[in-house]
Amino acid sequence: MAKVELKNVSKIYMGGHKAVDNVSFNIDDKEFVVLVGPSGCGKTTTLRMIAGLEELSDGEIFIDGKPVKNVPPKDRNIAMVFQNYALYPHMTVYENMAFGLKIRKFPKNEIKKMVEETAEILELEKLLNRKPKVLSGGQRQRVALGRAIVRKPKVFLFDEPLSNLDAKLRVQMRAEISKLHRKLGATMIYVTHDQREAMTMGDRIVVMKDGIIRQIDKPLRLYRFPKDQFVAGFIGSPAMNFIKGKMVFENGLPALRASGGFLYRFDERLKEKLSKYINENAALGIRPENIALNGSSEQSYKAEIELIEPLGAESLYYLNLFGDKLIAKAQPLNDDLKYETVGITFPKEKVHLFVNEKAVSLK
Amino acid sequence: MNNKIKTLGLNLLLLAIAIVTLAPFVWMVSASFMPNGEAFVFPPKFLPDTFSLTQYEKLFTRINIGRFFLNSFILSVSVTFISLFFNSMAGFVFAKYKFAGKDKLFKLLLSSMIIPAQVTMLPLFLMLKEMGFINTYLAIIIPGMANIFGIFLIKQYAESIPDSLIEAAKIDGASDFQIYYKIFLPVIKPILVTLALFTFMGTWNDFIWPLIALSDQSMFTLPVALANLMGEHSQDPELMMAGSTLTILPIIIVFLVLQKQYIKGIMLGSVKE
Amino acid sequence: MIDASNKYGITKAVALFLSPALSAIFIFFFLPVFAALAMSFTDFGLYSLADWRYTRFVGFDNYVKLFNDPLFWQALKNTFYFVLVAGPLSVAVSLFAAISLNSKFAKFKSFFRLAFFLPVVTTLVAVAIVFRFVYHPHFGLLNYLLGFFGISPIDWLGDPDWAMPAIILMAVWKNFGYNMIIFTAGLQNIPSQLYEAAEIEGANAWRKFYQITLPLLTPTTLFIGVITLIGFFQLFAEPYIMTQGGPLNSTLSIVQYMYREGFRWWNMGYSAALAFVLFAVIFLGTLIQLKLKGKDE
Repeated sequence: MAKVELKNVSKIYMGGHKAVDNVSFNIDDKEFVVLVGPSGCGKTTTLRMIAGLEELSDGEIFIDGKPVKNVPPKDRNIAMVFQNYALYPHMTVYENMAFGLKIRKFPKNEIKKMVEETAEILELEKLLNRKPKVLSGGQRQRVALGRAIVRKPKVFLFDEPLSNLDAKLRVQMRAEISKLHRKLGATMIYVTHDQREAMTMGDRIVVMKDGIIRQIDKPLRLYRFPKDQFVAGFIGSPAMNFIKGKMVFENGLPALRASGGFLYRFDERLKEKLSKYINENAALGIRPENIALNGSSEQSYKAEIELIEPLGAESLYYLNLFGDKLIAKAQPLNDDLKYETVGITFPKEKVHLFVNEKAVSLK
Repeated sequence: MNNKIKTLGLNLLLLAIAIVTLAPFVWMVSASFMPNGEAFVFPPKFLPDTFSLTQYEKLFTRINIGRFFLNSFILSVSVTFISLFFNSMAGFVFAKYKFAGKDKLFKLLLSSMIIPAQVTMLPLFLMLKEMGFINTYLAIIIPGMANIFGIFLIKQYAESIPDSLIEAAKIDGASDFQIYYKIFLPVIKPILVTLALFTFMGTWNDFIWPLIALSDQSMFTLPVALANLMGEHSQDPELMMAGSTLTILPIIIVFLVLQKQYIKGIMLGSVKE
Repeated sequence: MIDASNKYGITKAVALFLSPALSAIFIFFFLPVFAALAMSFTDFGLYSLADWRYTRFVGFDNYVKLFNDPLFWQALKNTFYFVLVAGPLSVAVSLFAAISLNSKFAKFKSFFRLAFFLPVVTTLVAVAIVFRFVYHPHFGLLNYLLGFFGISPIDWLGDPDWAMPAIILMAVWKNFGYNMIIFTAGLQNIPSQLYEAAEIEGANAWRKFYQITLPLLTPTTLFIGVITLIGFFQLFAEPYIMTQGGPLNSTLSIVQYMYREGFRWWNMGYSAALAFVLFAVIFLGTLIQLKLKGKDE
């Protein structure tokens, strides 16, 4: 049973750099929460503050309802898995896993039992007498997990644990960690810069940028209803296309006009809602998978295909639309479609609008 | 063909340099086995006519070189161990902890490395004299307890081991001292060996400070004893060569065994700033 | 990194780790430096050794005396002679040895490296004694070998003109191996593609040396320059053992003069002033080299 709560947490480094700025969120017991964002967004600092490796400049963190400001890491009942595994190179796998227990003065036979149990879960039994340097990357990662699990902590902290692995192993370990989460029923906080990892693993995702939380949501809600242009662009791959311009009135209807001449008209029913944004900077957002090629509905645009990348089931079309570059992801139309002009449409219900970077609902 | 000439020429040149660097040692060892007078002839002899241990016998019986050997050994070993302990603790902090003013403090230490040791010798002598340590082992050990280069070397090496190793140990529940001796020391073992080698050799070879601080014959280290001996025996090359051989021998043995670590240490120490 | 700051400044553990080394360094290094500076403004001498109250403050007298002391100028000149000849010479030999050993044509590299390096680790005093005999005018190895080239015997250590060159030769012999190792590390850091690219463009060996090796080694060379300078200015054991500063003071070094004044005649105030002149010279030398480096970058 461990809830983790962050209340107005800030971290200001010597020299005044604000790494984490007034961050608040709660993590429920047994929840898997992913902190995601580009490098330097404060996600790792946040995790390290939860671990107690970094002092808070302001705010408070509660684990299990108790404030932990003056609690050293070892008494927070947490375990952490590091990006570079941080295995003790001079110790065997067994000793690595037993180290924390020995320090805590567990009886010898109990340590043995706990290490062996954990080794079984992670299929490390055969490696117990090896030193880390003879292990493969995946094996090291499992030992690092084992060292975290063996103490049965209430909260697991992961700091980009998979970023040193190759793509294939990463997918495999992702599944393994998720499985472990279900099996152990522990609270897990996971930091990554990879939005795909965040989407596939998290019960909830905290998106951060420049030390500020941009949005906290379940994965699919994050994808469907990004609160701002940054989140919209960060979640999803290839990233959402943005056509930047200004809000204008066109024939009495609200519309977005880009400098290249592109014009997107909004529905009559949005007139009232959008009229207050006239003359504001805005961006039209559309995901690559939502652009319809060769469409011919009410608003169709002529776009030039500059490059086609066939991926197999789908192809990526690099488009030039009045000077704006867009990427569309679609079923391969036909092999004849080469570098020519196509008509594209943006399905009304899939279009996002951002005014001054903030999302505006088009419902 | 062209390459063959290049190979031959270059290697002959290297061989010539090697002969120049090694010849004095070869002659030293050889002359040390000559009876009196045999090394002072023309043309010089490269090998003794009769292999003789007279000089070594004289060194051990009449000159009591065993005592100087022991002094050198005790001093080198104690300075090595104490300074390794002190330097590694300080290096640990400079590499793995942060606190206000740390960088400034370290910069101050680094920049003071250009102060030649000779500047400190006069007051140091007076201080140790006041404390009653002149002419004792402590006169050598105390100033050698810690040194900036050693701290620098350890810090330099320790920065290449990931911080997360220390943090993992902290989360595992280890205290600062447990981290130091259960994680940090074993992990930096290679540089400890290197630094031990540097310190041992440096103390063994040191001359000016023992010359100043140890004036009593029975406290002499080998270099000081040799220099002293040279005053009376400047016409006895055979004896002096035996003394030199005995002085150099332990150093060469230690170096030959641990040369890799030594070379690595030089390279690490030369990574600028 | 572990945050060790707390309301008292630093945590107790960190203070405990730091204090042995730092207090040793502060008490037995920094403190003496300042004490020496203070001493150089006094007439601290033999009587002061018995009772410190005999010491008087004399202002800049010691420095003025130095300025008018021909022996000081002689020692300074000798030291500069040594540093300015032995320094560049040993750096050049080191570089030459490093490049030769780095060549793909070199065989038995580890043997040669070991042979070149051996003088570095050996005891200077012992080596100086060996060289005293090697340099012997009648029975020495060197004159014997030079005889094969028709060179008549030189009184290496007895002739005021030859004594310093003899010491320089030995210093180069003893020290070049150290810098060779650092140069080797520097050479190995030069990407081989640069040489391959130059080769494709038709550059010959000299051109490659001048336009790739030398410029890219500049930081290494400057580092070596600084440490060699600092080390060589402290010349002491070689003349102490081989010539006692003679003949005619032609090999008397600053440190030797300082030692003599301070620990033979117990003119410690004067000796401290000498030590600070040495410090100033080393400091300026280092500064000049670092300025050169700054210009380079």
